[in-house]
Amino acid sequence: MAAPQPRTTPQDDRERFQALVEEHLNGLFGAALRLTRNRTRAEDLLQETFLRAWRSFRTFQPGTNARAWLYKILMNAYIDSYRKTAREPEVVDHDDVDEFYLYTKVQESEDFRRAGNPEEEVLARLMDADVKGALDSLPESFRQVVILSDIEGFSYQEIADILSIPIGTVMSRLHRGRRQLQGKLWEYAKRAHYVNAADSPPARSGPR
Amino acid sequence: MSEIDCEQVLQLVWQFLDGEVEEVRYREIEAHLAECANCEGRVSFERRLRTLIETKCQEGPVPVELKRRLFKFLEG
Repeated sequence: MAAPQPRTTPQDDRERFQALVEEHLNGLFGAALRLTRNRTRAEDLLQETFLRAWRSFRTFQPGTNARAWLYKILMNAYIDSYRKTAREPEVVDHDDVDEFYLYTKVQESEDFRRAGNPEEEVLARLMDADVKGALDSLPESFRQVVILSDIEGFSYQEIADILSIPIGTVMSRLHRGRRQLQGKLWEYAKRAHYVNAADSPPARSGPR
Repeated sequence: MSEIDCEQVLQLVWQFLDGEVEEVRYREIEAHLAECANCEGRVSFERRLRTLIETKCQEGPVPVELKRRLFKFLEG
């Protein structure tokens, strides 16, 4: 009597896994870079994610959200490594900062208003490094949620599943994180403005 | 004017931009924005800021060497 045929061979598994991961690898690497802020640690994190995903691939249900499954593994690996190396910085809440903090500040600013189109002006002034710097300045738990939402584009429910936290916590961290982000962006925008002003005539005397 | 007022719209702005409000609410907000320049200005700024953040935080593709190394694990 013939032995029952396994539903999939190891070779099938490898091919299915490879196809599934390949589709999301660039995105996972980008997220790993944003989370770790360091290329070597990002590569290590991606490798750890890859190995964990492969080990648990048999538990993955085909047809379910593969991207969210992979990001959940990525976030768990990141949080495990993060706990080893760092402590959560103190969470400072900016209650005075509202949803439209940046917009309001720009509207109120004489300097920006003088530019004619203040909204245009502030958005044009923010450099890549400013945005990344502002994001990196957020407390860890806010930063993770902002990255998953605003850069990776996950829904509140998906983020709740990925981080194993209630959806209300996702919303509250996201809102507080975004408010804090706007406060930081305003600092950078102001600084950029003063640098521009300093660069314009009258010419300075002496070497720069 | 539509049924939803400025205060309600501004409270829901992030959920609206995140696509996390119900269909009916979504239409009410859109209708309000079509009529209210003040709210429209704010919401459109938030939308552009969101796009800016997303664009500026994009990273390049995974290095070829790393990808090769990862897929080599599967051969063992």
